[in-house]
Amino acid sequence: MNKDLEISGYIVLPLQLPSTPSFPTPATHYLYLRPHEPRIPDPDTPRSLFLVNIPIDTTETHLRHLFSTQLSSGRIERVDFESVRTGKKSDAAKIALLQGTNIAKGKKRKRVTADELEGRLDEFSLPSTWDRQLHRSGSHAVVVFVDKASMEASLKAARKAARKSSAIIWGDGIDESRLPRLGLQRYLAHQRACYPPRADLLRSVNEYMNVFTEVAEARKREAARRAAEPDEDGFVTVTSGPKLTSAAGEEEAKRLIEKQKKKEQGFGDFYRFQSREKRKERQIELLKRFDEDKKKLEEMKMRKGKIRPE
Amino acid sequence: MSNHTAKRRKLSCSSDGVPGLEQPTTPESSLNASRPARMNISKIRNTARQPGHSAEMALASGLYKSSLFKLQMDELIAESRPNYDKHLAALGDTLHELKDLIERLPEKPAKHAVEAEKEMRNLHGVTVPYPEPRPSKDTKYSVVYARPTNVNVVGSFALRTGSKLAGPFVVDMAVTMPGSIFQEKDYVNYRYFHKRAYFVACIAAGIKDKKSATLDVKYELQDGDELRPIISVQPAAAAKLDHGYPRYRVRILTAVDDTLFPISRTLPMKVNIRNGCSGGNDDQEHTFYNSSLRSEATVALYHKLLSSAARASESFRDACLLGRIWLRQRGFGSSVHKGGFGGFEWTVLMSLLLEGGGSAGKPLLLKSYSSYQLFKATIQFLAAKDLTEPLLLSAREVSFPSASPVVYDGKRGLNVLYKMTPWSYSFLRQEAGTTLRMLNESREDNFERIFIFKIDEPLLRFDRLVTLPVAEHGDANAVIQRNHAIYGVLQKALGDRVNLIYISSPSGGPSSVESKPHRKQGPRNLSVGLLLDSDNATRIVDHGPSAEQKEAAAAFRSFWGERAELRRFKDGSIRESLVWSEDPSSSIVHQILVYILGRHFAYGEADIGYIGDEFDAQLRNNGDGVLSYSSSAFQMVTDGFNALEKSIQAMEGVPLTVRHLTPTSPLLRYTGLHVDRISGAFPAPADVALQFESSARWPDDLVAIQMTKVAFLVKIGDALTQNGDFSSCQVGLENEQSKILNNAFLDVTHVSGIVYRLRIHQNREQTLLERRVKEQGASPQTKQEIASALAVYKRSFIHSPRLSQAMRTLCTRFPFLSPTVRLLKHWFSCHLFDAYVNEELIELVVLRTFTQPYPWEPPSSVMAGFLRTLHFLSRWNWQQEPMIVDLGGELDQSAVERIRTRFAAWRSIDPAMNSVSMFVGSDIDPDGVTWTQYGMPPKVVAARICTLAKAVMKLVREQGLKLDIPPLFRPALEPYDFVIHLDRKLLQDRSNSVAKFKNLSTLSDPTRAGKHTIVKDFVRDLQACFSPNILFFHGKEQSDVIGGLWNPQTLKPKSWSLALTFSTQPGEATVSINRVAMLNEISRLGLGVISRIDVQNG
Repeated sequence: MNKDLEISGYIVLPLQLPSTPSFPTPATHYLYLRPHEPRIPDPDTPRSLFLVNIPIDTTETHLRHLFSTQLSSGRIERVDFESVRTGKKSDAAKIALLQGTNIAKGKKRKRVTADELEGRLDEFSLPSTWDRQLHRSGSHAVVVFVDKASMEASLKAARKAARKSSAIIWGDGIDESRLPRLGLQRYLAHQRACYPPRADLLRSVNEYMNVFTEVAEARKREAARRAAEPDEDGFVTVTSGPKLTSAAGEEEAKRLIEKQKKKEQGFGDFYRFQSREKRKERQIELLKRFDEDKKKLEEMKMRKGKIRPE
Repeated sequence: MSNHTAKRRKLSCSSDGVPGLEQPTTPESSLNASRPARMNISKIRNTARQPGHSAEMALASGLYKSSLFKLQMDELIAESRPNYDKHLAALGDTLHELKDLIERLPEKPAKHAVEAEKEMRNLHGVTVPYPEPRPSKDTKYSVVYARPTNVNVVGSFALRTGSKLAGPFVVDMAVTMPGSIFQEKDYVNYRYFHKRAYFVACIAAGIKDKKSATLDVKYELQDGDELRPIISVQPAAAAKLDHGYPRYRVRILTAVDDTLFPISRTLPMKVNIRNGCSGGNDDQEHTFYNSSLRSEATVALYHKLLSSAARASESFRDACLLGRIWLRQRGFGSSVHKGGFGGFEWTVLMSLLLEGGGSAGKPLLLKSYSSYQLFKATIQFLAAKDLTEPLLLSAREVSFPSASPVVYDGKRGLNVLYKMTPWSYSFLRQEAGTTLRMLNESREDNFERIFIFKIDEPLLRFDRLVTLPVAEHGDANAVIQRNHAIYGVLQKALGDRVNLIYISSPSGGPSSVESKPHRKQGPRNLSVGLLLDSDNATRIVDHGPSAEQKEAAAAFRSFWGERAELRRFKDGSIRESLVWSEDPSSSIVHQILVYILGRHFAYGEADIGYIGDEFDAQLRNNGDGVLSYSSSAFQMVTDGFNALEKSIQAMEGVPLTVRHLTPTSPLLRYTGLHVDRISGAFPAPADVALQFESSARWPDDLVAIQMTKVAFLVKIGDALTQNGDFSSCQVGLENEQSKILNNAFLDVTHVSGIVYRLRIHQNREQTLLERRVKEQGASPQTKQEIASALAVYKRSFIHSPRLSQAMRTLCTRFPFLSPTVRLLKHWFSCHLFDAYVNEELIELVVLRTFTQPYPWEPPSSVMAGFLRTLHFLSRWNWQQEPMIVDLGGELDQSAVERIRTRFAAWRSIDPAMNSVSMFVGSDIDPDGVTWTQYGMPPKVVAARICTLAKAVMKLVREQGLKLDIPPLFRPALEPYDFVIHLDRKLLQDRSNSVAKFKNLSTLSDPTRAGKHTIVKDFVRDLQACFSPNILFFHGKEQSDVIGGLWNPQTLKPKSWSLALTFSTQPGEATVSINRVAMLNEISRLGLGVISRIDVQNG
């Protein structure tokens, strides 16, 4: 391959794709990589590589295999895929949660705040029906290595591999049984996974709902505490009556507004001046319509040519 | 309104007329009743002639259907009116020459008819076009040529009432034969027509001798009337111009003085054909002969009448033009082969109605009417008045044969409609009725449907078509008799199964003057169009007269022969009856036709061409053998649903009470293509939405609502499994990675094997989603996601139940709606549109054909429904026009206006049509994008759908009755860049194994996934990975391919960017799409599903 090894600062790493019975034409995939340089760097940035145009069936196993075995350079700590990273908030929450629990452990705090609890809600989700995530074509990933040295070694190895014409075969040598399979088996597995066992379902629901109730209670407590605190002027606002949940309140409000509107409509043609005005409006409307129609006809003629029977 | 006039004048004097100048009250009672108020012209009449904007405006809004209609009509009239001055300038000399030539032809002495013919052939090489029966040696009278008394231009050219045609410009020239060449009794036994034929031959010979270099002289039949050959003169081949058509054609007609034969001799029921043997028992024959004779005598009279009408009424000419266009678009013409009602008859009828025709002989049309009013009132007259009850104008006590329409003009002694047959009349009347309804519809202006569409295509027009080979022999009377006989038999045999029978016989073109005309014509086809009655057409048993009515029973027996059986019925009556078989290979109407035509006209089954059943067969073969919505397969689905509903209402242990269960699946509204479990393909589960009574205890959080739903579904499942009606219940997951979409459903399997998929409808989801859309600070991408989740919610829980309910009702109202929808779904699927078209869109498009059927009536067959829907699609300019469907009958002007506003808004938000291409609004869904938003279909696909529909319409036009049906359903693979072939063997094996273990094929067996499900999941994966750079096209079970199309935008090299959404390979300074790698990825993803990928382009 005598092509440019670099494009816009990215190293171009050609990967030979294994041919398949249904499409035997040999194919080469091009992976672009360079050190990760996000706008807001975090502690992991110095030991991360930024990969562009990963194959759609990339898994963490694939990348681990690529860097540690095929390029035999660095060890990978984790891979952040683009499609997963879109839920940044959950990541941040997770980190916060990790830190939070650490702190909680350290200080043996008794009360967890509602926000922290809410973060925990993300832990519980319904079982997934797909055993392997696919990526959209041309998407990118961040590979975090164990240390900066492995990252740099990998980069170097990649550059070398790119220069050499001996091709790296994508996914060659991976233990197939470690990966969920693609193709027919994938779809059959999906059909199976669509109907998870009753117990699993109930467990995730129960866990989620328990935490959710806790959150709701914590929020209520916080609200009560806030309500009991005197404001700047030293007053305490006293509220009473059952509180509708906010969504229900909104629905009720909508209905009331609707009712009020109806009431305001009243009689439209009670007075003579009203009917006169209405008539005038109608006439103006008619005139306007006529002009509009004329314009429309012009447009029609422009579009379809002359009006002529077929 | 009238008490406001004083005030109104003050407000706007220019647009209002002077009140009080009332028009003379019109006498026509029948018209007044239904005439819309806006036709009342009194108040605007005076201002109509004032120039200026407001006058035009008043005219437009008052005298016409709508101002747009009027504007379009003005354009149409201006476009279609020939430029008479130009034509006159071009033709004047030729006409003068012809006139001089004819006037100067030498007279010929009297000769015996046969000898005269011989002499004519020897001297001039011209045959004499004697009509059958030709004169023989025994003929006593002689033929003679004398100088014509008069040669004049008549007809639409002289009156300036004609319209531009695609063909040559036609000028009629009437030659008045002198009375001296006829004898008093010449009206009997074809004598007049024989003498006339010689006269015509003499003129033809004269023109041919003098002008053969520049003019082509041919014979043709006047109005297809075999008795009256005429001469047609065209510029010779060398002078042909204008798109291959000769520029003009002069028809030389003959006429006689109207006093030559007394009117009393040619009254319709007089017997003037007395050749002993035939005995004169056929009324039609005599009527036609007499009228044909009389019409020769009235040429000048009608010319006078029409020109005075044109003088008297300003708008007369325009109205004639409109009438001509209207008739032509519907395939009517003056010729007997085209229904016998053409421009001339329209013009005459209008001028007669200007003089009389109303109650007490008062005129039906007023001279002051606008062209639109004249047109509409004439249409109304045709639609409302039953002319088979003779309408006598200035005459009384004239008798007519029954069943034929009559407008007898007493002054001129002619039945204007004499060329019409009972079938052409009933057809004309139906068309007039339809047009009248279109004109009265305030919602749409229908202009195109009335004047622009050419709707005489038999395949689009009729439900079934029959072709019968017939031998043509120049005998006019025999043809008339035969057609009447066939009509009579068919009408009697089909009875109320048909609404209309229309026979059209082939017409001969012009023939050379040298050869003997109309002799050797091979067998031709008579075509019979049927409009079926959708309720009665499939009835299996016909009840005849009871056995006690001896005479009637005998007549029934003699008509039906051995097919008639005497049966005792449940109510105890003993009747003659007919029982037809339910064999799906031959529809009942076909069985009847084959039997009765064989019995009465000795046609064999192979002779009878029958068109229309092929579409039914296509549906039966691909829709699990189910045709009607009332079939047992649909019934089973509905029964199962009812059982489910009952069990759910009765179930215990679920903390909330159920408000209702609503069907949301095509299967539950009779529009699912696959309903039965045939050939291993499982029908998709029938979707059902369940709504609980409202409760404030639902959580205020989308994810928590989903979790609660799961808990409820598990509970409902537990409760239902205890019920014997359901074999299993299992909670399934969908969209589990989304936190805003519905996550769970419950699959309930009924004992019949039908699976119902329950989803819980919680309207708080909507409130929460709407709140989040409005929330500040969210990224546009998140906002879009939420908006799309909201759209999904509305679609599945609000619009789908509404549509299902409306469709269910409409399917029972229009029995052919369900099969047509299903056939069209099959068509879309055959052309691999499954991934890009929502089924609901197809349903709505088809529904439109039924609820807004104009310019036709609602179809009563799959063929008509299917082709008319494609006709609509072929013409739908979806880029600029919304489709508006009437579902509940509540679509009024304001609703249409609202939908149009929404449409305009969408086009201004999304002018590139990336999100919304086709827009379908209805009275129950004015938003209009429910089923088409988010590229369903994308504009490429939308354009392709229309292209395909256009291709079908082109085939229909070109091939007509010879159209082959199966190719319409074969996908064209050439346009795709690559084609993925599915692994046929493997998928078939799978479905077979499922079919083998029927008892295992329930929910517990997840491998029950049919081929369709796997392919669908596969395509969904492909789309997730490669859209919008590749479009994937796939169909249902019957198709084994997936078509792929590269987005041409992505094929150009791009500069490197992180935003590229496809696999690339580096180039010089740019990157380009790496197609091979992408295809390799597809093949890896489709391991075991696909057998090969064919790259077709690039």
